[in-house]
Amino acid sequence: MAAARADTLQSVELADGVEIQLRVAGVAVRSMAYLIDLLIRIAIYIGASILMFWLLADVLGPQVTLGLFLLFIFFMEWFYNVIFEAGAKGATPGQRVFKLRVMSMTGGPVTLAQAVMRNFLRVVDFMPFFYLTGIVCMLFTRRFQRLGDLVANTVVTYVELPHTVVAQVPIQAERLAPSQVLTREEQAALLQFIERAPLWADERRLELASLAQPLTKAPGPEGLRRLCGMALWLQEPEEKRATPPPLKGAAYSRS
Amino acid sequence: MTPAQFEKQIEPRWQKLEKLLAEAEQNHPTAAVDELPATFRQVCHDLSVAQHRMSPQRLTQKLNALALRTYRVLERHSAGGWEAFVRLFFVEFPQAVRAEWRLFWWCTALFYLPAVLIAAITPAHPEWAMALLGPEGMVQIESMYGESSKPSDFVRESYGSGFAAFCFYIWNNVSINFKTFAGGILGGVGSLFVLMFNSLFLGAVFGYVHYSGNPMTLYAWVVAHGAPEITGMIIAAMAGMRVGWSVLRPGRMERREALVLAGRKALPLLIGAAILTSLAAVLEGFWSPLNLPLSIKFASGGMCWVLLTVFLLFSGRRSGNAA
Repeated sequence: MAAARADTLQSVELADGVEIQLRVAGVAVRSMAYLIDLLIRIAIYIGASILMFWLLADVLGPQVTLGLFLLFIFFMEWFYNVIFEAGAKGATPGQRVFKLRVMSMTGGPVTLAQAVMRNFLRVVDFMPFFYLTGIVCMLFTRRFQRLGDLVANTVVTYVELPHTVVAQVPIQAERLAPSQVLTREEQAALLQFIERAPLWADERRLELASLAQPLTKAPGPEGLRRLCGMALWLQEPEEKRATPPPLKGAAYSRS
Repeated sequence: MTPAQFEKQIEPRWQKLEKLLAEAEQNHPTAAVDELPATFRQVCHDLSVAQHRMSPQRLTQKLNALALRTYRVLERHSAGGWEAFVRLFFVEFPQAVRAEWRLFWWCTALFYLPAVLIAAITPAHPEWAMALLGPEGMVQIESMYGESSKPSDFVRESYGSGFAAFCFYIWNNVSINFKTFAGGILGGVGSLFVLMFNSLFLGAVFGYVHYSGNPMTLYAWVVAHGAPEITGMIIAAMAGMRVGWSVLRPGRMERREALVLAGRKALPLLIGAAILTSLAAVLEGFWSPLNLPLSIKFASGGMCWVLLTVFLLFSGRRSGNAA
């Protein structure tokens, strides 16, 4: 699909041979999700220490309380993300705020094993500070994967693809067959152009249409009109009323 | 067929799928859910047709989202509960250790050789061990295993302190295991570093106690929990080296694939190592501080080593390959 190059959509092939598209989340939004999780964890730590050392310590004694607190820290440090990501929503609370989800690269939900892998490797992604390794790694991979994602075969995606706004505006153009054969990518680009064109200002439409001047062979409004015409033609190549022209040469060559 | 006709034609199918999905996503699935896979495949087919014909994005995106949602429902799996966990430890873990026996022996050698070496030269050249331990370490060792110490010095008065120690060992030692493993992705360097560091430090402790303390106190203390603890550390390093090796030498695979495969192979090792270390924490928290005669201490400690060896050598042999 041509769309994959212009945005962060990534094609994934399901087991059934169907290609679906995921919108992969970038560094910024993931960092914000991480910060929210961090704040939540800090709040939990504060709450737990108040609960344990003020209330439990009197009942259980200071040493048992300290032990329990260490165990609690251990599980929070290593399993906070694992439990949420392997859960039904596939996302930590911070990720849910930004409508993100951890997915297996196969398109399915993350298994417990994958969640363990990607989160245990955080230690290395964090090095030398503030996830520098992870961020560099994300910038150099097509699907914004940090080391943990690479080993666990996971990606962080948006839960939903962005909705395309469809403008219901009739297009003032005559259908026009393109003057040359268009590749699939070019056809897709034209079709997307006509879907989105009504949403843009006139200047923007003209600017984009002028990029297709080699195809339309006309500048300015005329080029835009021709481009829209070709897109309409692609949408409905044969006009229902039109009768096909008689094939004159065919009879000769057949006999 | 025009795009509009196509859209009209496939609409009943995805509306049906949407209805089925709404049922399947609740926890009380109805009989209609049986139709889900077939409807899913129909809609997948519609999606690929729509993609091929370059239908309006609105349609492909709708179908795309629907297919993804259904796929997640169909692929939803339960973790398998306790049974899977028991199998992981008793079958897949020893199998994984045996499958990577070369790596196991390499890591074992990398741990024991430097440790024994430094312990052996300490009586003649104590400055090596002293440099490793530092003044504070030396003071601490003197206080714990000094000449006047007895093997019974570690007896803890209360159950509470044993529990606290157990929790401390879990928090500290299992975390170190996980970090040892994670460091492995840097071409194995991280795992190797932790392994060698622990090896040298432990060797220095043993050497220094032989040089200036009462070794019996130390041996009686560590003999039992040493078996799972040291082996756990070696296996955690092994899991890390497995991943690191796939970065260095992916072989005939793409590096990314090799990494994923190595991660899968390393997981039973990592979990097994964590469980061994947790067992060590139980022993170190509750068993090692018991005041028992030396003979019982050493006999049970020896038993731990034998049991562990038998476990790693033979457990899960009859259950076929985990792969």
